[in-house]
Formats: sequence, C-alpha cells, structure tokens
Amino acid sequence: MGARRWMRRLFGRDRWRPVEVPKDSRASLSLDYLTFKDLTTSNDELLEIIADIERKLEGGTAFGMAYLRNRTVGCATHTYRMIICLDKLSSRRYQELHLVFASLQKRLEAILDRTRPASPGTPRLVYPLSEVDSSSAAEVGGKSANAGEIRNRLRLPIPDGFAVSTDAFAAFLGHHQLAGEIRALQLKREPDDSSGLNEISQQAQERITSSDVPPALVEAMLAAYHELCRTHGSEPRVSVRSSAVGEDGEMSFAGQYTSVLNVDRAGLVDAYKEVVASLYSPQALFYRSVHGIPDEDLPMGVLCMTMVDAVASGVACSVDPNRPAAETLLVSGAWGLGVGPVGGSVSPDTWVVSKAGAREILTSRLGWKDTRVDPLDEGGVAPMAVQASERQRFCLSEAHVRELADLVVMIESHYHCPQEIEWALDRQERFVLLQSRPLRTAVGERAQPPPANEIDGHRLLLTGAAASRGCGSGMVHRCTEGDDLAAFPAGAVLVTRHSSPQFVKIMERAAAIVTDIGATTGHMASLAREFGVPAVLDTRDATVVLGEGSVVTVDADGGGVYEGRVERLLASSAVAERKSVVGTPIHSILREVASVVVPLTLTDPRSPEFRPRGCRSFHDIARFIHEKAFEEMFRMSDRVTSATQKATRLDERLPYLVYLIDIGGGLRRAPSPCVRLEDIRSEPMCALLRGMMHPDLRWWEPRPISVSGFLAVATESMLSPGGGDGQRRLGDRSYAIVAEAYCNFSSRVGYHFAAVDAHCSESRSRNYVSFRFKGGAADDGRRARRCELIGAILGRLDFQVERNGDLVNARLRKFPRDATLQRLDQIGRLIVATRQLDMRLGPGTPIAWYVDAFLEGNYLFEPPGP
Amino acid sequence: MRVVRLLLVDDEARFVETLSKRLTARGYEVEGALGGPQALELLAARPFDVVLLDVWMPGIDGLEVLKAIRRLHPGVKVVLVSGNASINAAVEGMRLGAIDYLLKPVEIDDVLAKVEEAFEKKIIEEADAAR
Repeated sequence: MGARRWMRRLFGRDRWRPVEVPKDSRASLSLDYLTFKDLTTSNDELLEIIADIERKLEGGTAFGMAYLRNRTVGCATHTYRMIICLDKLSSRRYQELHLVFASLQKRLEAILDRTRPASPGTPRLVYPLSEVDSSSAAEVGGKSANAGEIRNRLRLPIPDGFAVSTDAFAAFLGHHQLAGEIRALQLKREPDDSSGLNEISQQAQERITSSDVPPALVEAMLAAYHELCRTHGSEPRVSVRSSAVGEDGEMSFAGQYTSVLNVDRAGLVDAYKEVVASLYSPQALFYRSVHGIPDEDLPMGVLCMTMVDAVASGVACSVDPNRPAAETLLVSGAWGLGVGPVGGSVSPDTWVVSKAGAREILTSRLGWKDTRVDPLDEGGVAPMAVQASERQRFCLSEAHVRELADLVVMIESHYHCPQEIEWALDRQERFVLLQSRPLRTAVGERAQPPPANEIDGHRLLLTGAAASRGCGSGMVHRCTEGDDLAAFPAGAVLVTRHSSPQFVKIMERAAAIVTDIGATTGHMASLAREFGVPAVLDTRDATVVLGEGSVVTVDADGGGVYEGRVERLLASSAVAERKSVVGTPIHSILREVASVVVPLTLTDPRSPEFRPRGCRSFHDIARFIHEKAFEEMFRMSDRVTSATQKATRLDERLPYLVYLIDIGGGLRRAPSPCVRLEDIRSEPMCALLRGMMHPDLRWWEPRPISVSGFLAVATESMLSPGGGDGQRRLGDRSYAIVAEAYCNFSSRVGYHFAAVDAHCSESRSRNYVSFRFKGGAADDGRRARRCELIGAILGRLDFQVERNGDLVNARLRKFPRDATLQRLDQIGRLIVATRQLDMRLGPGTPIAWYVDAFLEGNYLFEPPGP
Repeated sequence: MRVVRLLLVDDEARFVETLSKRLTARGYEVEGALGGPQALELLAARPFDVVLLDVWMPGIDGLEVLKAIRRLHPGVKVVLVSGNASINAAVEGMRLGAIDYLLKPVEIDDVLAKVEEAFEKKIIEEADAAR
C-alpha cells in the first residue's frame, strides 16, 4: 500500500482538493447534503422530462400546448434549481452558468411567446363579405375567407353577410382574461384523458357564454347587421357559423364547431358567444390534441350570412373521396336545411355524376329522408316529419343535379384542388352555395370488390356505403349520440344509428365504424378518412342486426359487414395509416423547444469544452452541474475528516470502514462512537448495507487471480497519472450521510468510485435511487467492459442508465417503498461484487453471462463447473 | 412527530377549500388565505411551516408576497403554485428562495411530497441552527 500511495504522489493529480474557504463561512454539512439532495432530485426530474420530450418527438402520442408549456417551464425550473444548488455547494464558483442559462431561457421564451396571439393594436372587428377573399384567412378565418372568395372572385351565388374577425375574438377573450383562465383549465388535463376533457370543455364553454362581449364588438356586429338590413330591405335571419383559422385547411375540423341557425337581431350576440365557445367543445379539444394543434394557433372568426329559404340542401364532392381517379363527382341532398345531410341524421339521396362532357348521371340512389330541418318563425330550427309521398321522391331533378355539377366543376377548377361544397336550392329553384373547402381524398386507387355473400364461411350481415376505406374487426359496441364515450373499449367496432362528428372522440380507439344512417359526404365520414378508421355507413339496420359484444369484420373497401373475424379480408386490406402528430404545427414548436433543452454535447468531463461556456442546452448544464456536484460532495466528506461533525463508526463486517453521519433521524441512538446495523433507522441505508453484507458475496475469501488480469490492474495503477478518482483512499474510510428516509453513501475503495444517493419512504413520488460509478484500474478496454456490465445489470433492475466510457449514471424514480429498498439491496451487492470483477472480466466471456451470473447470485462470477 | 402547519394562499376559493379538506384528512394543520395581505396577517399571527402560494392572483403579484414572506419569516418554506406556466415567474420565484414551482393542476400526491420535503428541510435546518 505504501508503495502505491507513493506512486500516486508521484504521478497522481488530486482532483478533490479541499475548498479553501474559511470554515465558518460555510453552511453546515447537513445543509450541504440537503442541497445536494435537491440537486440530485432536480437532475432526475429534468432527465425524466427530457426523456418524455424525446418520446413525444417521435410522434404517435397526442399532446397539447398546455403540455408543451408545462414541460418547458418544468425544464427551466429544474435546471435553474440545479444552478442555485451548485452555487451553494461550490461557493459560487461557476457564475458563468447564470449567463448561459439566461440566454437559453430567452430563446425558450421567444419560442413560447410566438405561439400566443399577438395583441391587437387597433383591431378591425367586423368585415363585410364584399371585402374579404381567400387572402383574408388570417383576419377572418377560413370559412369567411372562402365565402368571400366565392362571392367576390368566382362571382357565384352565395348569401350576403359579414365576418367577425379573429381580432374580435382576441378582444373578447382578452377582455375578461378568459384566455389565461382557459389555459389554466387546460393544464388540468393529461392529453389522453378523455373523461377530464368533458369537464374542462364544460367549464371553458360556461366561462365564455357567461361573459359579456365587449361593447365595441357588440356595436360593430349590430352596425354590420344594420347594413345587411339596408341592402336586404328587411330584417333577415342569419346563420352564425364558426370560421376558425386553420379550419378547412390542411385538416378539415369537419363539423367540430357549432353553427347557430335562423338567428335574429336580438339573438346575434348570444349566438356569437355560443359559436366561440364551441372552440372548446369536447370533440374540438380532442381533435386538436390528436392533430397537435395549439389552441393559440386557432383564433376563432365567425361568419354571419343571411339564411336561405331552402327547399333542399346538401353536399357535393368534386371527386369521389374513395375513388379519386374515377373522374366522377358526388352529390348528396335531402329536404330542408343542410343540417341533416351534413350532420348525418338523415340518409340523403345520392348521385354519381360523370365529370366528363355532358355531366351524365351514372347512378342515383334514393335516400331515407324521413325528417327535414326547417327554420322556425320564433327563431332556431327544428326537425319535421317528411310526408310519405315526399320520401319516395328525389329532392333534386336530374336537370338540377347537372346544373349543380357545373357549379362544382367551376369551383374545383378555381381552387385547383378537390372541393367539398355545401349547397342549397331556394324556393325560386336557384342554387345558392354556402361554403367550399378542400376535400380529403383517399390516397391511391384500389380495386373494390363488391361484398360477397360469404367469405371462408363468414356470413355477410350487412351492406352499406363505404365511407372510409380499410378493413377492421372487433367486438360490436353500440353507442348513441350523447353516450359517455370515455367508456368505449379500445379495438371495438362502433355501431350507431346516426353518424355524428362527436364520434371523433373514439376514432383513435375504434377498429371500425358502422352506422344505420349517414352519408359518405358527411362530416363524420371525412373525419373517419382522416383518422384512417374503416367505416361503412348507411346500412339501414346495423343497430338491429349487429348484436352488442358479437365479433364482426367491417370491410370498408367493399362496403360489407361480416360475421366473425375474417382473416383473409384483414390480411389483404392495406393497413390504414393512423394519425401521427409528426409534422403538425405543435410538433414543430416542440422540436424548437427540444433544440434548447435536449441535445447533450458535454459528454467528456476531461475535455476542455467541459465548462459553463461549453453548455449548449439545459441537458448540458445539468450534465456539467451533476459532475461538479459530485466533486463538491467529496469535498464535503473531506471536511468531515477535519471533523466538526460527529461521525459514528459502523461496526459490521464490511469491505470498507464505514462512518455514519446522521443529519436527522437516521440513527436510533444518540451519537456514539460506534453502532451496529440494527441501530440504523434510515431504511435506505439499511437496505444498502444488507446488500453489501450479503453472505454469498464472500469478499473476505482469498481467490485466484488470472495473471494477465492482475498485470493489467497493476500496470495501470502504476502508470496512469490521474487515472481514476479513487486511488487515494484505498482501504480508507467511506462515509454515509443518513437521515430517516435518506442516505448518501460513497466509496472510493479499490480503484472504483461508487456513490449512492437515495430517498425512500411511503410517499412514492419522492422515492429515488441515484447511482454513480466511475473509473477503476485496469486498461480502458476493461474499464469500458466493467461499466457496460454494471450498466446492463442496472438496466435489468429497471434503472435508467446513462453510460459514457468509464462512467455510469443510473437512476430509478417513483418506485414503491419495498421495490426501492429491494433495488438498494441489489446495489449494495453490486458495489461489493464489482470489487472482485477487476481481475475476472476477461474479453472472452460475453457480458450477458456476467449479468446473469450476478442476478443469479453468483457474486464471485465463478465459471460454471465441469 | 410534529404536525405540519400549512398555509394555502390562492384567490380561487374552491381550490383552497378542496385542497385544505384533503390535506387536513392527511393529518396536516391547514389554513387558507384568499390573498397576499390575508396570508401575511395570518403568518404574523401564528407560526407556519410551509406556505403553498399561488403566484398568479388578480391584482396581486404572488412574487411580491413571496418576497415579503422571505423577508418577514425567513424560516417558513414556500412552495409556489401557478396556473399560468411562465418560465420567468418560475426562475424568479426560485431565485427569491421558493422551494419549487408547481404547475396547476396539481396532483395531491405531488403537493404532499413537496410539502413533506419542505417540512423536512425546515426541521433539519432548525436542528442545525440549534447545534
């Protein structure tokens, strides 16, 4: 030993020089350990958030702006707390960290600020439709902009009206600090918790509808309405509809927001509030979180248009969404206002029209139009029964269909992309357009075999209109609108009477959708296509034929529903692409945030870049601080040697001489010169010690050493200057700081350095074990192998492991008390077992063998007997 | 074992009420204040171990309340709670000596863990000062 110490004095560089500060200016040891513990905890929390951000970056899981803000603030809080802690431990040695942190903080704030709506200067609250076109989408939202485009550019018939701007929306929400309140509400929810969603939705909507619209906005809306009366010659009823920014763009938001129909002057303001509130309807919240659209990106404009006295109305698609290459367009319509055919409560008449030449009508199918929606004199609308004779009649003549087809083709060629158009036919038999938006179509073309009566012995139960392609199988689960959809089982087939955009909430979970009534041109159909859920609609009696709980296969390519699970169909159907958030607006914000938080560039503590100025991210800062904190921790135990603190010797059979320092409730007895294991109250310390004292470790027995192994160890310890953190204390004391639920144990015995920092109590969320292993003798190859082994063992024990060369950092968080103690016991064994590894870890045997040996209790790593 | 004396400060009466009910059930001694001035009055009147302070109350800057608590009652531990995620407020709060910055909605277990941690810290500090 003497020779080695002498060698070290010659070659070694002592990294752990005691701090040169007057003793009494320093906080006491207890307080330093509290600080060290805070630092460790924040380090763990930060790494956990980073891991979570990385998972979210891969896409696939939904998250909202609330999540993003929450995590960003969490990262900043923990990083900053680590800086404060290191300041305390190191007597402010690393002041530059504050500068680095401040510049990263500024970058993050800039990213988050950009996502808040700009506060309007002198906002323009209302625009007449004559003044907007498709370039006004940011000011008035998509629907109003498109209506203006049709009116002013295409010069096609569309009702007159006005657009309430997105600035008006910001003014309304800003007036009552509603935006902040709603953001706070949103924070209350985990993104995938769909039951919490209803509650938030209800509270947010209630806040909006119960708040007063600012007087200036009321005035502006009434003035615009007055102007409408002047041109119209009477007081027209209007429809009040959402026109959110981003709606009708890349993603359709089909039917997510409320429209209020047949509104008079007196009802205008309330209707406005109702539409704005629908920005927070449960299905809209869900839709946005699945598509990764931050709320802040969606200021709500509102479109007010005079009502059309409609004989019939419906939707037209300029291409067949499921067969885009077919050169056909689709028209669907029903009696009365468009609510029925669009919303899915009526089975409409449908026509397939050839786009080439004279608009030949290829097929026409009579719907089941038992109700029609009509405006009421007192305001509002209501469904009415349709007379039997009317039910048997198409709502449009063939001449009408062809006329409408012409309009549809005109609009499509104007926009240069497939369109979905809402139309109405008024009492004068003139077509009026209500809106046009881009149509989502299926990608590629596939043959669509008509449903067969039987496939492999599975009976055909139903046929209907294929609304969204693909094939899915599962148990039938029947729902009606307004049911608690939170209970919808994952992988089930939704069977329902009417199609409704409300069902968007279960689209991530449903294997397929089957409805009695509903059109492939409706909102739910476009949502199903967006979500890639196979859907067969308009089967007339699915809710009668398909029994709850029975297994069916829905073939939405052919339009059939089969009994049981038809493997052949499922295998042949292309796997529908499910939604991913990658590439959505919120995903790119997350990427920006991640660029400030996540990248780790400081990996090598020996590199000259390993300094505060070298930190490029929060992760770097944390890495730097963690490293320095351990240096400080050793300085702390150096202070004990010059002790003001009373250290108690542990009188147990251990490979180290262990001294305990109690900082609060860690020992059962008042400080005495020496204690036994049973005198220790600190549960984590006891668990660790029990592991170290495990009888199978047999560290006290002499054992054979392979010659090459011994040489490698001996040579390295003689030749490598500063080759490890551990050489100084060979056979020296180890210190354990204990409190009732805490322990910090470090050893620099042999050539290794190992430190355990742990908290363990009944409150699970505070529990952690942090383990660090570094250095060691032997050449670099052996060190790396040893660290690989330790990392692998810890991984099997559920630790998060980070390994770099000869350094292993591992952490375990929020495990229950017993599991945490059990891991500490294992770590105790690992610390002692690895002492004997130096000599044994030859290159011939795979690491996995050693891992298994350890986990099987073969702590001497004895090769299997002959 | 000493009972944790906790002060909840939040303008949202319902939040204070629910949380104090649940924390009382766990054996804490809980008082509520609906604003900064009331909180400071209570702190002057009797001793508390931990304050759970909302930083985003209308009309009052929670950070000012924090400053006052730190100045007048340096031994009391303060955990910040906020419904409005702001990096600046979080960093400023930590700089002023808060234990942590929790974002609403808070899980009851997280609150418990934080309060427990703050309390432990206070006990150890007091023991240390007595040595």
